[in-house]
Amino acid sequence: MSVNLFKDVAKPIMAGFGITRRRLQQRTSKYKDVTVQYPEQRREQYPRTRWKHALKRYDSGLEKCIGCSLCAGACPARCIYVEAAENTDGERYSAGERYAVRYEINMIRCIFCGYCQDACPTGAIVLEKDFELANYKRESFIYTKEMLLDPMPK
Amino acid sequence: MAAVASEVELVNISINGVALQVPKGELIVESVKRLGLEIPIFCYHPRMKPVGMCRMCLVEVGFPGPDGNIRKMPKPQAGCTLPASEGMAIFTDTEQIHRDRKGVLEFLLVNHPLDCPICDRGGECPLQNNTLFYGPSTSRFLELKRHLPKAFPLSKYVTLDLERCIQCGRCVRFTEEISGDSQLAFRFRGASMQPSTFELTDFESKFSGNVIEICPVGALTNREYRFRARPWDLETKPAICTVCSNGCNIWFDHRAGRMVRTNGRTNEAINEEWTCDRGKFGHEFYNDSNRVKHVMVRNGDALVESDWPTAYDAIRMAFAEGGNRVAALTGPSNSNEDLYLLKKLFQTRFNSNNFDSRWTTYLPTAEDDLQKKMGVSMVQNTIADFESMSKVFIFGSSLADELPILFLRVRKGWFNNGNKVVVASDKPTDADSFAAEVLRYRTGTESTLASGLLALAVEKGLAQVPDATRQSLSKYTAEHVSDETGVSVDALHRAVELVAGAGIITSHGIFNTSQPQDTVETLAGLAMTTNGSFNCYALGANDQGALDMGVVPFGGGMDTHSILQGCIDGTVKALWLVGCDPFELHPDYDLVEKALENVHFLVVMADHQNGAVPFASVLLPETAPAEQDGTFTNMERRVQRMPQVLAAKGSAKPAWRVFSELAIRIQPETPPFGPADCMKEIAESIPSYAVADYANLGGEGVLIR
Repeated sequence: MSVNLFKDVAKPIMAGFGITRRRLQQRTSKYKDVTVQYPEQRREQYPRTRWKHALKRYDSGLEKCIGCSLCAGACPARCIYVEAAENTDGERYSAGERYAVRYEINMIRCIFCGYCQDACPTGAIVLEKDFELANYKRESFIYTKEMLLDPMPK
Repeated sequence: MAAVASEVELVNISINGVALQVPKGELIVESVKRLGLEIPIFCYHPRMKPVGMCRMCLVEVGFPGPDGNIRKMPKPQAGCTLPASEGMAIFTDTEQIHRDRKGVLEFLLVNHPLDCPICDRGGECPLQNNTLFYGPSTSRFLELKRHLPKAFPLSKYVTLDLERCIQCGRCVRFTEEISGDSQLAFRFRGASMQPSTFELTDFESKFSGNVIEICPVGALTNREYRFRARPWDLETKPAICTVCSNGCNIWFDHRAGRMVRTNGRTNEAINEEWTCDRGKFGHEFYNDSNRVKHVMVRNGDALVESDWPTAYDAIRMAFAEGGNRVAALTGPSNSNEDLYLLKKLFQTRFNSNNFDSRWTTYLPTAEDDLQKKMGVSMVQNTIADFESMSKVFIFGSSLADELPILFLRVRKGWFNNGNKVVVASDKPTDADSFAAEVLRYRTGTESTLASGLLALAVEKGLAQVPDATRQSLSKYTAEHVSDETGVSVDALHRAVELVAGAGIITSHGIFNTSQPQDTVETLAGLAMTTNGSFNCYALGANDQGALDMGVVPFGGGMDTHSILQGCIDGTVKALWLVGCDPFELHPDYDLVEKALENVHFLVVMADHQNGAVPFASVLLPETAPAEQDGTFTNMERRVQRMPQVLAAKGSAKPAWRVFSELAIRIQPETPPFGPADCMKEIAESIPSYAVADYANLGGEGVLIR
């Protein structure tokens, strides 16, 4: 098989660069900048983006989480560890009898599937849009309850 | 099954069109299991009488009419109270039944709160399961649910959540039919019916833990397990309970290396499916903060953390003298492998027979052995034997405290088969409630009572004895025995009829009474001469195993008391305590204290801090029973294997490994590579254990005779 240097090699290359030339000319009018200057600039995320979990509170400040461990049961990566304890009248964390005394998520294992959010009977765990999870040590990827829990409402 | 079936009348029934033969009168809820089908149930329990309270097991029933067609009854029937009869046609899978089940579940859920996420039963709840499989997917009930006290502490172990109760009556029936303490009853009627104790006292039962397991909802929950974990968090492994010598089979639930709870595991030969409270709630020590985790060696006044080689060297030096200068005492929960290798270490490396596993006031000598003396064994019956034994004689033992599962079996025999039970004890016992005759003797007159009964049996011609024995018994007239023991003459006369030919139960606790050897021999003689059977059961988890392994000083060594005395005298220079706290086990506290103070070198091998630790020269961490692979011999001499469940704490090692490592340091040989190797060696050197092998110790275990 003989190769025609112009027709088979040079012409397609030039045609390809042609597209690039056209796009460069249209850059300001039809096509906007694709990249942003992260981290100074941030793009708006899609509404159903699933990143770092947050443990929610009711308006009263009580934790929504009741420590039922259904999230841990639903988790396909087995990355959630919940230890429950009983509320007392003196020390009340959640509305019912039970609250999570320890709530840990191993973010390295988490695949952000959102099953925990689906399984949660009280809507306590929600996957939110904070995606900046990089860190230096493996141990830092164990997110404890204190790190996940929303701050007290003012 | 076939042998049983041939004796009883069979009837032809059909289930969903499949024809089969079942024993006449069998409950339909059981018959359907023969086809591999299942009827949803709540109140029915195979080990208790049916009551038909929950209506969950509804089936359609029909009989063939004159024209040969099945004519169904107009209304569904409860399968749990329906006995099979000739020609019966059962339908479990019709449109009507599906509707009925939905209806029943909808009614149950009217008042049952949907707090499954925080309920300890959630995930293993029959109500959840049945609702999922047979129930409606939504609720039509919009009104307010019934509100009742939540988390009411029924006792130290059991929490009652009245809102969740579906009034099946399993717990009430359990206390009436199985445990016999009748602690629970229903108060009020209709929707307000609630199980409770009479006058709301504490639920004081020795078997209260079982109601937690049989409750089909989360109404009765475990106070110790409360909110500890959900079922899907748990790892569950089969294990053996090591709290007493019954050797109950349990499920050992653990999570993240911690013991969480234990549940009964079915073994028809031992515990059926029950547990006692002492066992069910007696495993908390695995999580104790005072567990021994590291090797400690004494340096001046303090024990300092060290390592195994240092400890081995210290022990080698101290035990070098060997012979009568060294000794070992063992506790109740060492495995057979531990005990066998201890004995081997002492005999082959230290040239000593000074080891003992017994802690009773009286320690039978080698000559006292019943096998040698009278040709009978100390253990003749299995637990299951007592179900069908028409006469049972419990002597000097509070069975519900000492051997709770045997107590349940004896009671079952009385409850189901009307077996006659005679109780002789110096204090009130739980067995009194169903005993045909109670002989309440004065403490210390055990031997007189036993001899009196034998004499009376001889007098009545119930027992045949040689003339010499007849002569020696002549002083035990009924009147004399009555004066001595405080048991009335009439009671003696009534009792002897029931005692002759009975299965006699006593325990090693008898060796803490006065003249125990006489008592034991007389009772064994009574059983022998009247065609009964005699059992003197061990009490510690592996006490029977220790006797079988030969951890008794019958080879010319010193027994427990002499060893401790020897420590005081200075004749015993080095003492090794293997998994035992002599302060707890030995009857004489002062003797133990003096002995531990005076002994030159004390090795304490323990899984948790005990009274002997402050005296230790070397403290060795030992794995607890569930942290090592090993076998245990229960009181009926059934060898069962407990595989390792939890990881060892810190640098703890199984005792058998310590003994073998020390042995090869003193004199090299091929060590056993694991407990299975130890068991092979045991099987070779102890004839009765020849049948025991790790390959066949699963299931119901191996019975040694």
